[in-house]
Amino acid sequence: MKYILKVFSATFMSLILSFSIANASSGVFKVSHDLGFGKDTNLDAITKGRLFQVVIKTQNRLVRPDMNGVPSPSLSTDWSANSDATEWTFNLRKGIYFHDGSAFDAPDVKYSLMRAKDPDIGSPVRKSLNVVEDIEVVDQHTVKMKLSTSFADFPLLLTDYRLRMIPEGSGDTIGQTGVGTGPFMVDKFDPEGTTILKANPEYWEGAPGVAEVHVIAIPDAQARIQALLTGQIDMNRYVPFNQKKIFDSNSKFTTTVIPTGNWRGVVMRTDTAPFDNPKVRKAFRLAVDRQELVDLVMGGAATVSCDTPVMPSDQYRLQMDCPQNISKAKNLLREAGFPNGIELTVYPATLEPTWPTIAEVVQQQVAKAGIKVNIEMVPSKGYWNEVWMKKPVSMTRWNQRPADTILHEAYHSGAKWNESYFKNADFDKNLADARSELDFNKRKKAYQNAQMTLWEQSGTMIPYHVSRLVVTSSKVKNLDAVDHFSIQWHKVKVD
Amino acid sequence: MESNLIIKDKQKNKLEKAFEILKTMASKPSGLIGLTIVLFHVVLALISPYIAPYDYKAISPNTMLLAPSAEHWFGTDSLGRDVFTRTILGGRTALTVTFFGSLIALLWGGLLGIFCGLVGGKIDDVVMRVVDAFLSIPWILAMLLIVSLLGTSTEVLIPALGFFYGKGIVRVARAATHDVIAKDFIVSARARGHSNMSIIWNEIIPNVRDAILVEGAMRWSWMLLGFSSLSFLGFGVSPPTPDWGLMISNARGLMSFAYWSVIAPIVGLSSLIIGINLTADAFAKALGIDRSTKAPV
Repeated sequence: MKYILKVFSATFMSLILSFSIANASSGVFKVSHDLGFGKDTNLDAITKGRLFQVVIKTQNRLVRPDMNGVPSPSLSTDWSANSDATEWTFNLRKGIYFHDGSAFDAPDVKYSLMRAKDPDIGSPVRKSLNVVEDIEVVDQHTVKMKLSTSFADFPLLLTDYRLRMIPEGSGDTIGQTGVGTGPFMVDKFDPEGTTILKANPEYWEGAPGVAEVHVIAIPDAQARIQALLTGQIDMNRYVPFNQKKIFDSNSKFTTTVIPTGNWRGVVMRTDTAPFDNPKVRKAFRLAVDRQELVDLVMGGAATVSCDTPVMPSDQYRLQMDCPQNISKAKNLLREAGFPNGIELTVYPATLEPTWPTIAEVVQQQVAKAGIKVNIEMVPSKGYWNEVWMKKPVSMTRWNQRPADTILHEAYHSGAKWNESYFKNADFDKNLADARSELDFNKRKKAYQNAQMTLWEQSGTMIPYHVSRLVVTSSKVKNLDAVDHFSIQWHKVKVD
Repeated sequence: MESNLIIKDKQKNKLEKAFEILKTMASKPSGLIGLTIVLFHVVLALISPYIAPYDYKAISPNTMLLAPSAEHWFGTDSLGRDVFTRTILGGRTALTVTFFGSLIALLWGGLLGIFCGLVGGKIDDVVMRVVDAFLSIPWILAMLLIVSLLGTSTEVLIPALGFFYGKGIVRVARAATHDVIAKDFIVSARARGHSNMSIIWNEIIPNVRDAILVEGAMRWSWMLLGFSSLSFLGFGVSPPTPDWGLMISNARGLMSFAYWSVIAPIVGLSSLIIGINLTADAFAKALGIDRSTKAPV
């Protein structure tokens, strides 16, 4: 009997031990970032210089997009609205703790979201969040958000990748600490070197699959590819499609193509001559052959956009065709007082590997309409501070956002990241009408009217929404085949 | 009439001397190879716009990354452009910018070095410490700063490269001047009351010219490499102008499966640099200068 008990105990202990080992975090997952914000790089998700490769792993949102982009529970378990969608009640997950040991509760939600509305901070997300008038702490695990207007898609707005929950009162230090409730905790923040994240063993969805994440600053796109090839990093989500062949035939790597709402573009400042004339802007946009850009730059892996930032899968996207029209472009330039064409300079940097190629192809395409494009390369480091929104024409790239968010954030006359300095009363009114409209069809019509205004007037040429070529080391397992902001990072393992 | 004859005679002598140097340079295999390569590149740069089979700007998704064939001898690049066309045109800007850049470097570096060597004293001390300070700054960082502020036009690149590559010439010219200023003919010129400018022009330059010219030839090949490095980093020639450095930069990521788009510009650039180096070596030997000591042998 004693012998049987001994054998049973030993087996039981072995099982427990193996189970513990199997569930322990192990290995290091190494990724990179482009240091595009230079010295302003920080861990405060709502600021311009947020290092999103870190904050998406250390902090959670109330609501997150699921694999299909539909709002799904994160730190909020469920939500409901009143009859006219002006008040939204969110129930919070219980037993959640921040990395500093404090409990997550309703005052933290109020603090995190109201802080994003603070004009002194000047967050780029402020414009979208202005619809929130007040947040009432109903009890420790319930908040009620009062909106200035009806907003049937409000939970969609809360899926924004920057609306992360941080401890109440931590605003002054969050930029360096990155404290949140996420699967990883910041161990060392070194934006120009290697930032080290440690696994959060108490993570509410289970212990992460890896013990550490290293986020390494590598400004040059080709250097990031070489880093992947040599094993310095385990994942590159910005590999140009013309380099896919390098990895396809190599068993050490796994390639995944992910359709996204991310876009690249050329921005003309609408407050600067000659782009203050809508006819000049439209002439430039009409002179571009978008399908050729898709073929040459993306190897066909993108969806043509007629200058709408709304992603192809979004229910509010305006579907239209916009073939290159050189004669119309020339006519518009003539009507605008430029019968001999115009000359402009664009400033690509290699922080986005496709920018120089986009610039070269566009240069050839618009030349047919009498538009001479000069290309001046600029350093990657600090591009967003020195070039973007400063030069009359710049290159841009955006990650996907819901229709309402991206239209507000990139084009509303009061938006901080209104990169083309676009001001149009009809456009703003359509956005306001869409938010307050409870009828889906009418709401859709208002969003599409806003996109039609962009096609006629905007200063941003958006040729396509990209499919993303993600290349990972074959050691990396369980990485969701979705965009950055929907990935459940705690599931990732590195053999 | 008599003076005209003397001038013609001097010109004839100069031509004869130049021809003699050229003959000496070509008498050695390395010199002959160097001269041939440089001559080939210069001729190619001059005639390439007339013999290029395609438009160097013509992009097309239908001809992306085609392997070498009878139609496209060196294949096509990632935008469907003919690599042969872009390679033969690729040296024009580099040769032009670096040739004029070298001239500027020679002029300011040579003259300043000779002047400092002649006058000596505090002026020499101050100027040489400033030159030393500039020599301690990595040129590529300084160039990146300049092109970030002023752009990448040739009007900016030529004087900027000329300035940075002239710093070393100041030292060589100064050292060569020190070798001659103690000689009798300089002392005599001073005793005759000649001005510094007159001594520099009539007495020193003819005696240090060869050493400075050899140094200038060497600087030219380094400047070519430097200019291509700038283009490689995206701060030299602006697209779509064909340039070897830019072509290598654009194609480096495709090297493992579209090697043709990167090999041709690499061969173009390296052969020209080797050619200039061999020519400079042969030039120095023909003038009786040992390049390892920069002094006449």
